[in-house]
Amino acid sequence: MQENLWIPYLLERMPELWQRLGEHLFLTGVSTVTAVLVGLPLGILAFYRPGLRGPLLGVVGILQTIPSLAMLVILLALFQRIGVLPAIVALILYALLPIVRNTLAGLQGVTPETMEAARGIGMTEWQQMRLVRIPLALPVIMAGIRTAAVVAVGIATLAAFIGAGGLGEFINRGLALSNTRLICLGAIPAALLALLVDFALGTVERAFDPKRNRTLSRRTRFALKLSAVVIPLGLLVPVVVSFSPSAHPTSGSAILEGRPPQGVVRIASKNFTEQHILAEMMAQMIESRTPLSVERKFNLGGTIICHQALARGQIDLYAEYTGTGLMAILHLPLMTDPAKVYQRVAGEYRNRFNLVWMEPFGFNNTYTLTVRKPDALRNQWKTISDLAPMSSGMLAGFSGEFQERPDGYPGFQRVYGFKFGRVHDLDPSLTYRAIAQGAVDVIDGYSTDGRIPAYNLVSLIDNKKFFPPYHAAPVVRQEALDLHPGLRDALAPLGSLIDNGTMMGLNYEVDEKKRAVSEVVREFLRSKKII
Amino acid sequence: MIAFDQVSKSYDGVSRVIDKISFEVLKGEILVLLGSSGCGKSTTLKMINRLIEPTSGTIYVNGKDIRKQNPVKLRRSIGYVFQGIGLFPHMSVQENVSIVPRMLGWPGHQINKRCRELLDLVRLPPENYAQRFPDELSGGQQQRVAVARALASDPDFLLMDEPFGALDAITRDALQQEFLDLKHRLAKTVVFVTHDIVEALTLGDRIAILHEGRLEQVATGKEILQHPATPFIRDLFAKTVNRLKAFKDTF
Repeated sequence: MQENLWIPYLLERMPELWQRLGEHLFLTGVSTVTAVLVGLPLGILAFYRPGLRGPLLGVVGILQTIPSLAMLVILLALFQRIGVLPAIVALILYALLPIVRNTLAGLQGVTPETMEAARGIGMTEWQQMRLVRIPLALPVIMAGIRTAAVVAVGIATLAAFIGAGGLGEFINRGLALSNTRLICLGAIPAALLALLVDFALGTVERAFDPKRNRTLSRRTRFALKLSAVVIPLGLLVPVVVSFSPSAHPTSGSAILEGRPPQGVVRIASKNFTEQHILAEMMAQMIESRTPLSVERKFNLGGTIICHQALARGQIDLYAEYTGTGLMAILHLPLMTDPAKVYQRVAGEYRNRFNLVWMEPFGFNNTYTLTVRKPDALRNQWKTISDLAPMSSGMLAGFSGEFQERPDGYPGFQRVYGFKFGRVHDLDPSLTYRAIAQGAVDVIDGYSTDGRIPAYNLVSLIDNKKFFPPYHAAPVVRQEALDLHPGLRDALAPLGSLIDNGTMMGLNYEVDEKKRAVSEVVREFLRSKKII
Repeated sequence: MIAFDQVSKSYDGVSRVIDKISFEVLKGEILVLLGSSGCGKSTTLKMINRLIEPTSGTIYVNGKDIRKQNPVKLRRSIGYVFQGIGLFPHMSVQENVSIVPRMLGWPGHQINKRCRELLDLVRLPPENYAQRFPDELSGGQQQRVAVARALASDPDFLLMDEPFGALDAITRDALQQEFLDLKHRLAKTVVFVTHDIVEALTLGDRIAILHEGRLEQVATGKEILQHPATPFIRDLFAKTVNRLKAFKDTF
């Protein structure tokens, strides 16, 4: 695909862009307004009760220091649900600090002389606050609200990690697919939106500042007041568009509802290419073989989020890997026999969660250690053990998950008995590019990753059979199978359909050729004559 | 009429900022509270409208113990011109002047009429000044607005805390004359705080001299000059008079 076809690309993406923009504004708007409604009284309370100031500012300050993703995950656990609610609560918590602090600072900033005058001419406490203190503190308070709104626009891009939509959806997908254009499609509008929101609030502030207005002509004053109404209303347009009934099924109106409408199956995916492909594959099978419609909740921020959503009935199915189920979800000891792992995992899932593992797709997407092909040829590396003599001089680039998991780097060191000179913590979307560019020498790869051939890399053989099997299979809620009798049959043809080479090829089409997932999947399923 | 009866004020329970002072302000007079900074004159003034509560003793306004009156209502019935002017910077001249009538719930047209009247009275033509903001006025103009605001609800009493203290000498002279003029027309009872002896002699029908929280003498300027009650007062006035004399002799 040519990088210079921005305009047709934009036009094609426009409907979704509007929808995501609307969701983004909805998240930002609801959270900022709520934060103002909560933060202003808190600021006023802190003003009247000096004893509360330290604890209150301490708490809102600490909230601010929690990394955004951690905050989302904590709230996810707290609310036991994905989607808009935890996202909005997170945004509110972040917006509180600037609002509370600026409210307090603004109220404190009014000179004692002015307040004595207010008292001396016979204002009640409430009148002193309403007629004098708040109006004089307003510029400082407004600055806090503007900061909060701009921060909210930025942090709202992370809401997509927990299925709350917004422009972060593009960024996530772009990161997952290492597609710069998709990232820009989310990031640039988000940045522009931040500027626009700040400008809109600034206009409102100017329009209601009596002092500035007096020097303006009547006409300018009118224009200013008009724009103070029109610009914020303009920001509502995408919100309305995204919530209108004709919008996309995963639009704002849908994510607000706890329970799905009748005849809808909700499919999730984690945030990387293969997951998209598998989820889309299951979606297309269901759409073509049953009367059910599919709600796509793709790009959730990881295994735990997907699993919790499934266990709590917020989604109906997603594709999970046997090794991941064994270790990350069930916390069972390492096993290497693929058949035994599948049986164990399927049995435990049924007992513990009432979830059903369907027949695996066929391929095994396990961890591999991956190096540059020329290096492998030169040093005659074939197996992982071949790296041992040179390992202390090698620079590794591992994803955070690989560094933590027992079936990742910690267990690896124990079984293979060596470690690498230095390890860089890299985002999974960056590891392949990093090694191709020579920034690191070895990465944790996935055996079906299309980028392995694309970047001229090679996976080393796991000669000590350390990495557990990772066979992907649809995991479905038993209740969903009971509710939609056709579901099981619709997914059945996917069993043992895809071997490692096929999966790598599909990943390659999306990752490297930058083709749309839905198109690649449709083409594949048609070639297999199952849709 | 305002009366102080054995009024004391102490912040720490030991030393008294105001020590058992008793005096009366007669209806229609200007009583000047004169003293150096820190002598308790502002404290005394602020006790009249309960901005500061006395530790002991009783203050009467119109014959009623002010402790038995609602402080908000009391303050609305007494005009106050603050040290450092105390106009509200976010309100226009008109809004500043109308604030007390507004709080008293006057109808809008009456407030507007009163506001124009007052601005004319303090020689700030409303068509030029009503819509301005305090920071667009000179110090003298701001002080006129402050006086207009204090007079807005036509109170019987006016408390003035060094109102002309921050002004240059020429403006101050002009405002003092205007104020006297105004006072004769309006017949208010005024308590006026100053540390300026000349101002006290110029404006005061009677002068109450405070020193270290005690009332040294309450009398007309003439009486004080002729019969100073204490050595402190004699020295205080002698210094000023000598300075003026020396000044005259030089030129």
